[in-house]
Amino acid sequence: MTSTMDRRSLLSRAALGATGLVAATAMGSLAPETAFAATQQFADAGQPDPNFAEGLIMGRNQDLLQVQGSDGRLHRIQLTGVTSVWKLRPTTIDQARIGDGLYARGVLLPDGILAAEAIWVNIVNLTVAITAIGRNGVQLDHHGQKVVGHVQSGTTAAVYNGTPAVSDLSMLKVGRHAQVIGAWRPGTNEIDIATIYTSN
Amino acid sequence: MAGITAEASWFCCGNAWGPCGSAGHGACGTCNSGSMQHAWPNTSDACYAITRPDSCGITGMSRRTCGFRHATTSLCTGKRIVTSIADCGPQTDLFCGERSCCGGNCASNRVIDFTPAAFSALGLSLSSGLSPVSIDVA
Repeated sequence: MTSTMDRRSLLSRAALGATGLVAATAMGSLAPETAFAATQQFADAGQPDPNFAEGLIMGRNQDLLQVQGSDGRLHRIQLTGVTSVWKLRPTTIDQARIGDGLYARGVLLPDGILAAEAIWVNIVNLTVAITAIGRNGVQLDHHGQKVVGHVQSGTTAAVYNGTPAVSDLSMLKVGRHAQVIGAWRPGTNEIDIATIYTSN
Repeated sequence: MAGITAEASWFCCGNAWGPCGSAGHGACGTCNSGSMQHAWPNTSDACYAITRPDSCGITGMSRRTCGFRHATTSLCTGKRIVTSIADCGPQTDLFCGERSCCGGNCASNRVIDFTPAAFSALGLSLSSGLSPVSIDVA
């Protein structure tokens, strides 16, 4: 994901165009440059970042997502042609569906819509212990909670102590600790594994 | 302790969905995935006993407590953020010697864990999971 000024400016233009807001106010505060300039002011340490959102997708109207934040806040997240989308792997905006969880980073527009630069759908990053290894997946212990990790052929990769990612999972060992980047299957304790980091 | 180069990862905390739902607000009681925060492996004696960075050969790691601010620069993107301590972690000892690189810039050992908001503010994709960073006092 890149975050150059050109990209953010492009993102603002795309979102503003998508929501029909380009000429919306006499104050001119909705110009893309204004929206972009606002994002240059990072949130204070310890404070919520207004250019970031998380929660569950509760509704979708074309490319506008209604997201219920885990803290109870409601977010409106605009997907655009330049929004990068990850859901187990890089994918397209149509893959964001009701019931999915997400993290989103973008540009908070003056009307409260977050124009998304990137969204990560159902992504989890878990520190786990490997409790069992099967043909198509691994059983994981996440702070005492059982998590089923599914291997997806062509996608799942392993990184052994910092080596380049490989598809060979044969060096995973029961009892070892691991970090797993994966995609949660909503409503379950199951994930699809993107990358598993462990020692060998 | 002078600035250090190390690996950074991210973790969820606070109210959350999916497997993160039971994460809680961290050792400081303030941690939230959407806030500019991080975990530090030496926030207390009890914390240090869990994370054990010394077992990876990292000595002299400063005791810094809840709310302390660090400035971190991504060695991948060059972006710099300031975040505050909200939890104990990462568990450095589980990944001793692990190394991540970015464009020829490499770092070993996990010393800092960011919230998703902070990690992505560094210009890093959450799907990358790990990244080399430089950490200083803000």
